[in-house]
Amino acid sequence: MMTSVNERVALIVLALVTALAVVFAPWAAINRETGARSAVVLLPERYVDFTGRTQPVELPQQGAVFVLTIMGLAAVVAGGALPVKARRLAWLAGGLVLVVGTAWGMQRLTGSVAAAKFDAFLGEVRGAIERPRPAYDVDKLEALLAASSERDLTAGLAEADAAGLVIRRLPYTNAGVGLSAFLAVVTGAFALLFGARIFRGFGQVLDRLLRAASVPATAILLALLAAAVVILALQATPVGAGAQVGGAFDGLVGRLDTLWYAYYSMFHDSLGTVNGFAESLKFATPLIFTGLAVAFGFQAGLFNIGAPGQMVMGAIFAMLAGIYVPGPRLVVLPVAVLSAALGGGLWGALPGWLKARFGANEVINTILLNFVAASVLLFILSAGNVFAAAAVRIFVAIGVFLVLVIAALLVPTVRRASKRAPRAAFAVGAVVLLAGCVVAGLPRAGDQPITVNMPFKVPGNEPKSRPLNVGARLPQLPAVLGVTRGGVNVVRIDYAAVLALLGAVVAAFRVGRLGRLKGWTARLVGALLVGGALYGLGALVGIAGVNTAIPPTKLNLSFLIALLMAVFVHVFLFKTRWGYELRAVGLSPRAAEYGGARIGRNTIMAMAISGALAGLTATHYVLGGALEDYALRQSIPTSDGFDGIAVALLGANQPAFIVASAFLFGVLKYGGSVLNITFPDLTRDVVSMILALVVLFIAAKGFLPERLTNPLKWSVRQEPPTGGADDGVASAATSAAKTGAGASAAGVGASLREGAGEG
Amino acid sequence: MDTVILLALASSMLRATTPLLFAALGGLFSERSGVVNIALEGIILFGAMAAAVTTQLVEAPYLRADPTARVWFAPWLGLLAAMVLGALVAGVHALVSIRYKADQIISGTAINLMGLGIPAVVLAGLYHNTSISDPIRSRLPELSLFGIPGLSFNVLVYVAFLLVPVVWFVVFRTPFGLRLRSVGEHPEAADSLGISVTRMRYTGVMLSGVLAGLGGAYLSIGNLNQFISEMSGGRGFIALAALIFGKWHPLGVLGATLLFGAFQATEVLLGGGKLLPPTVVQSLPYVLTMLVLAGFVGRSVAPKAIGKAWNK
Repeated sequence: MMTSVNERVALIVLALVTALAVVFAPWAAINRETGARSAVVLLPERYVDFTGRTQPVELPQQGAVFVLTIMGLAAVVAGGALPVKARRLAWLAGGLVLVVGTAWGMQRLTGSVAAAKFDAFLGEVRGAIERPRPAYDVDKLEALLAASSERDLTAGLAEADAAGLVIRRLPYTNAGVGLSAFLAVVTGAFALLFGARIFRGFGQVLDRLLRAASVPATAILLALLAAAVVILALQATPVGAGAQVGGAFDGLVGRLDTLWYAYYSMFHDSLGTVNGFAESLKFATPLIFTGLAVAFGFQAGLFNIGAPGQMVMGAIFAMLAGIYVPGPRLVVLPVAVLSAALGGGLWGALPGWLKARFGANEVINTILLNFVAASVLLFILSAGNVFAAAAVRIFVAIGVFLVLVIAALLVPTVRRASKRAPRAAFAVGAVVLLAGCVVAGLPRAGDQPITVNMPFKVPGNEPKSRPLNVGARLPQLPAVLGVTRGGVNVVRIDYAAVLALLGAVVAAFRVGRLGRLKGWTARLVGALLVGGALYGLGALVGIAGVNTAIPPTKLNLSFLIALLMAVFVHVFLFKTRWGYELRAVGLSPRAAEYGGARIGRNTIMAMAISGALAGLTATHYVLGGALEDYALRQSIPTSDGFDGIAVALLGANQPAFIVASAFLFGVLKYGGSVLNITFPDLTRDVVSMILALVVLFIAAKGFLPERLTNPLKWSVRQEPPTGGADDGVASAATSAAKTGAGASAAGVGASLREGAGEG
Repeated sequence: MDTVILLALASSMLRATTPLLFAALGGLFSERSGVVNIALEGIILFGAMAAAVTTQLVEAPYLRADPTARVWFAPWLGLLAAMVLGALVAGVHALVSIRYKADQIISGTAINLMGLGIPAVVLAGLYHNTSISDPIRSRLPELSLFGIPGLSFNVLVYVAFLLVPVVWFVVFRTPFGLRLRSVGEHPEAADSLGISVTRMRYTGVMLSGVLAGLGGAYLSIGNLNQFISEMSGGRGFIALAALIFGKWHPLGVLGATLLFGAFQATEVLLGGGKLLPPTVVQSLPYVLTMLVLAGFVGRSVAPKAIGKAWNK
């Protein structure tokens, strides 16, 4: 079968690459200083020191780890040549050896590094005792030294601090896995995964998983590989003064370690620390909104590139509500959130209307509206806008004209006439408007220029609004969890409850029937059962109440609004009549119209809802205070609107996947800022490049051959259908084709053709 | 109004038209072959960056020897680089949308996103900041029009307007042009006559990259003396609108880009006259483009096969 050949080739290549990495790439770093200078070890016991001042540490059992790794890799490679059953066994065994061996070796190594670090700490203490300064409490330090065997590093540092000895820098910090160890674990994991086909039923699950993940995973992988070129080109290997490195081998090790550490720092903080995780969620929140907005358009066959402009309009409306609506929070907050949606929705409905009424292409119009919105934002937030009196008269004339047009359209005869000859009516209107503007704009005696300052702008030149009323502010996460302002607090968090809630929601969606129960009763009972079971399990494992240090973060309740919107979009698109009509129009406008759908109304509605979703980013940036404070600022990062395209494509326009891909991009974005700090020559633009490449590669279906991305179509074209050969594969493929980006992308193409062609 | 103001307005209109004209004529080649090229905006940025960076790097060693030197060939090499990079970037768009049959709008959007991200990375590597390149000294020559004082334009302005009849001739009076149009109207028929649809489409898209790259070069080393991130300011999209408004015909495109150029030139007139705040003036070209698009789009007929991937 095709897949087994692919798997064998892929796994063997991966194993060979890993074998090369074991020879040439660092296994682990034992010290990483600021400026990304590092000291690394390679298996079995080789040191390369780029810091120039790191003493080697003892490396227990790394020889054994080396032998285990080579054996595991050999088993994986050899397995590729064996018949099916033996191959799977060999892969299971090899994978197990690789994963367990690496984990064990890494544990020994980190233990040894920690011991060395503690020794270095004791050395500092001894040094302080020998050369005391007035600030030191020598007795305390000596007591610390005497009791050192009972202390760990954190306690020791705190005690030394109390004794007046502040130790800023210790060697052996930021030790961690290297490239070859990572690759060994990855190879092992894939060998285990493919080897597990030996269990019945698992193969089908795996096939579905691989088919669904192949394009997005390949796209991300290719984008990361392309970024590798940029990283290597921009960042020379950081080498400290006095480092004894040179030669081709050291150079290669340095390059590989720079590359690896760049990726490591991009992902490690986000996925490995509470602070980084919260920051990633913070970055993900607006991306969920904009991703949903773009996906909503895609599902209706529209390409909404206008999310940046809709974000701005939502932000302006939210700010207005937040400043001018008085009252208690229970009233103000919903009003403010709704006005964010309203602002974005109106700005999105405009190009929808232009398309429905005049056939103007929404792609171009939404882009142009982005520029207009940016100007509007700049206008209302800048000081001293000077209008000449004539210009003001022109604006008044335009206003009068609009009122007159609306009044004229209320007269039935005029309306009918204008409907019969829309273009003539348009031309007449335009000429009247132009003439009116010229008359109004002629200079008159005694004209005085008028300076306009928006009442909600802060005085001075800073482009921001006044702060919002307290009632319109969405609380930030630490405040919700009971942390007072500033500082790190430790809070008991019930992770089991979160888990149970998630499980209950999933169960409510997935459960169709339960024994004799059907419909909503079954869903409710299923949700309760699953939720209860998960909570019990969580309590058993001990995550029902965990003391967690909450760092200061600007992650706020808009994250929950974003999740709620994902649920809303899912329900709207897939569970309601309107959503069905919308998707029908998206897939095939003509067929849908024949079936009774009203294209124009659907276009406007889809663009309005899409715009409203984009406008809701204001709950994050304005109401949630995710920028510096609770105010509208000109620096609102509208590029999130463009990133939403990448999120929607990666998430195949499915709300649940969009949340996941928004989180991935949140991780990458936060990783970008970590990269900025960690490396002297890398900037966060590397990440925006990665996002753009993800879009390109997903559009190209990961450059994968068609037999992988669209096996059904491929097989039809290659040979006449054999009938019932592999029903599972066929149905999975059709459903993938239905839901994937491909289907909606075709709809977009259709919409552009219409917009450009017919009008 | 006196002649000075009129002359200033006319010349700023021609200057504003030039990049639009380059990009729109480029888009004409691509769309006539049946490939939507929304990537024009990104290609303009890549061309602008390539021109500025190449010129700066070429002239840098001479300037170290003599800070007042003018290196006459540096901007021409920059121009060449802009055309080559434009063709390459357009080639990526062509590869993804022709070979891999991607949605052409999504592929183009990806290129536009890259036009925001990649120049920043390149600038960071070369100049240690992410938004502007080092200014260049050697710019393309300016030629005076009919010897009238005050009417002197960059050589690229003349090139842009001379390209209009050239493009018209190529598209409507040569076998190549006939093939290009046939591939965009009815690829099956063209294929049955032995014309390679994919090769014609590659050619059309890459030609559009060359021209859009020239438009970018005009922005960075013709009109200014450095690359500034996002300096295209939506011109690629306005060029697309001009293409629709101009009915995919070189003369129509000339008229449409002159109109949009005039919109942008009002910026100069109104901005200098203290009539309106600059922020309002800046948004006028976009609003007017939208109005024109809404009012006239129905009259123009796109190439029939535009946006459709070709399956043999």
